[in-house]
Amino acid sequence: MPPSANLNLPSRPLRLLGGAGIAIGIAAVVALVFWSIIVAAADEPVSARSPVDIPHLLRMTSIQAGLTTILSIAVGIALAWALNRLRFPGRSLVVGLFAAAIVTPGLVVAFGLLSVWGRAGWASQLAILLTGEPLGVSIFGLGGILAAHVILDGALAARILLARLDAIPAARLKTGQSLELSPWQRFRIIDWPAISGTIPGLAALIFLLAFTSFPIVLLLGGGPANQTLEVAIYAAVRLDFDLYGAVLLALVQVTVCAAIVLAASALTPVPPSLGPSQGQKWGDRGAAHLLQWSVLLLALAAFALPLLSVLINGFGEALWSVVARQSFWQATGTSLLLATLSAALALVLALGVAQARAATARPLLRTGIGAPSYAYLAVPSVVLALGFFLLVRSFGINPAHAAPFVVVLANALLALPFAVATLAPPFDAISHSRGRLIRSLGISGRRQFLSVEWPLVAPEAGVVVALSFCFSLGDLGVISLFGTQDFTTLPLLMVRSLGSYRTNDAAAIAALMLVLTLLAFVLLPRLFSRFADARP
Amino acid sequence: MLVLDRVTFAYPGQSVPYDFSLQAEPGEVTAVTGASGSGKSTLLDLIAGFLLPSAGSIRLGDTDLLPLPPEARPVSVLFQSETLFDHLSAAHNVALGLPSRLPRRKAAEQVRQALAEVGLPELGEQPAATLSGGQKQRVALARTLLRARPVLLLDEPFSALDDETRGTTRNLVKSLTEQQNWVTLLVSHHSEDVAAMARRRYHNTENRLLLS
Repeated sequence: MPPSANLNLPSRPLRLLGGAGIAIGIAAVVALVFWSIIVAAADEPVSARSPVDIPHLLRMTSIQAGLTTILSIAVGIALAWALNRLRFPGRSLVVGLFAAAIVTPGLVVAFGLLSVWGRAGWASQLAILLTGEPLGVSIFGLGGILAAHVILDGALAARILLARLDAIPAARLKTGQSLELSPWQRFRIIDWPAISGTIPGLAALIFLLAFTSFPIVLLLGGGPANQTLEVAIYAAVRLDFDLYGAVLLALVQVTVCAAIVLAASALTPVPPSLGPSQGQKWGDRGAAHLLQWSVLLLALAAFALPLLSVLINGFGEALWSVVARQSFWQATGTSLLLATLSAALALVLALGVAQARAATARPLLRTGIGAPSYAYLAVPSVVLALGFFLLVRSFGINPAHAAPFVVVLANALLALPFAVATLAPPFDAISHSRGRLIRSLGISGRRQFLSVEWPLVAPEAGVVVALSFCFSLGDLGVISLFGTQDFTTLPLLMVRSLGSYRTNDAAAIAALMLVLTLLAFVLLPRLFSRFADARP
Repeated sequence: MLVLDRVTFAYPGQSVPYDFSLQAEPGEVTAVTGASGSGKSTLLDLIAGFLLPSAGSIRLGDTDLLPLPPEARPVSVLFQSETLFDHLSAAHNVALGLPSRLPRRKAAEQVRQALAEVGLPELGEQPAATLSGGQKQRVALARTLLRARPVLLLDEPFSALDDETRGTTRNLVKSLTEQQNWVTLLVSHHSEDVAAMARRRYHNTENRLLLS
């Protein structure tokens, strides 16, 4: 007789095998990327090495990431508080707009800020109209970088914290209301305990996003004084041809990011998905109410104005000259194809990992299958691209030939942490709560997936595809190293247009990218929800 | 007849192992009573195959159930809660009791009949999450009907139901047991349920089953 064993979870060896295969494959890619980076650094002749001011770059990157984190969390708390209390027509649209921050390309936001606050921007034109003098504020430098980051990351923080506030049990609110708590008491006693656990993990995520930010610093940095590690790596490879410097910087960046990821994993995790907000009738009055409206309007202006300027400037006359160019259609086609393939690959990999994790209760096996997917949080896109670049070259393959495959793979891998974090909870939930039922009904394999799991995870799969698609569509980090004249995406075309002072072209491309991103973010999850109709 | 003979099982760290012996006849409800935590659900998990005993035998007629994995055992289980997949419709949940290769139209017809048999002909398209506790148990019973397994295990299935629903669901289970000739094993600490349904009763005391 075999020893007593708990058989609560269905035994699914094929799922485990598939998940383990994916995990090993992902880990192998990470290892190969690092190996190629380290080998390249060792092989580089000393004469070719140029001095790199790592302490300065590390200091600048940390300062901007640290300030971004503090400001974004503060903005996020204030905005989530205001949105949680206020009820008005179109509220869900506003909440959706802030939710879209996670996928809005940094390049587009930076360009939008330039359109509003730049030398010839809206604000300056208004100042000239009112005072006869242009606005004396420069958007370039640390201020501009912080503004762009806080717009994106503050909105992301607000959406995540709002989900926590909206999830406060009704009974707790009723108790607070019956005790006539003041707005401040309510925040301290009811709201703060609900959100405080999320803040450390959220702060770590925002720090990581800001630390590895590439397009915003590239566009708004305004010179070497504000250069960050990520941009310095790009400059070392593409502009200075200093491979040794790039490798050194990449190693520093990965080490710091890995430390942040490790610290973040010890803190409370960020909620994996953006759930719908719940209705709540207890609003504040008086000064608190006024303050909430002020916060909301200010945030809306800060977030929506740059995007609005992108759309207005982009959909003017410039659009027609851009769409008449073959290079634009080539870049659009390439972007859409790469984004579709990256999203499909990210979905398949994340499904494999999530299913395998849910098929076992052994903590070590679950960690072993899941952990490699999260490794890419510690590997910034430019570093990953550099690793692939070196790897491809070491195999004697022309990087230009490998570019399409590498860009698809790299973008899928970069989206994987978000994809696994979104898909794993519903698979785990089914496994834990209905594992015995599934087993007793004898449901397995294709039937288990199509009949039971897919109807539950399809909307989440839609979110994964939308996120991955939008990440890839807005990517500049990977394509910046692999792009060529014949292999160009929309973000790269936009940067090239800016580089050759064709600002109108860049505006039109930015507007199209924004529309494509928002459409994908809104429509893809809905499309997948329609597919949720299960077959018995 | 379902026969458990000296089925022994202990959780890690448990000093006195469970030692279950029991006989249950087809066409009637056999009840197992006992205090909370006395091992009643463990008994059902052993029969369903979710737990493996360290000694003893479990047989249905001439068939030894122990070598069989849970999905291959001739057993349906009605849990106290989580009997349905909340994100699927009632009909979809019932259809999971049918073989997957059955043509769609035939499957839909059988599902409709099964739902009618448990008194819920009009609720097929309703999401399971929106059903009441009693309706959920009835939908699970409809699925059990389609699975047509000779043993039905009931793990405190009426605990969450109000008195009226409890009575009708109890009657439904009893009449289906008689009609289908099921070996039905009811685990409950509600004496009223046991008195209304069971012909044979065991009481679980000091990790053993005593016929009462």
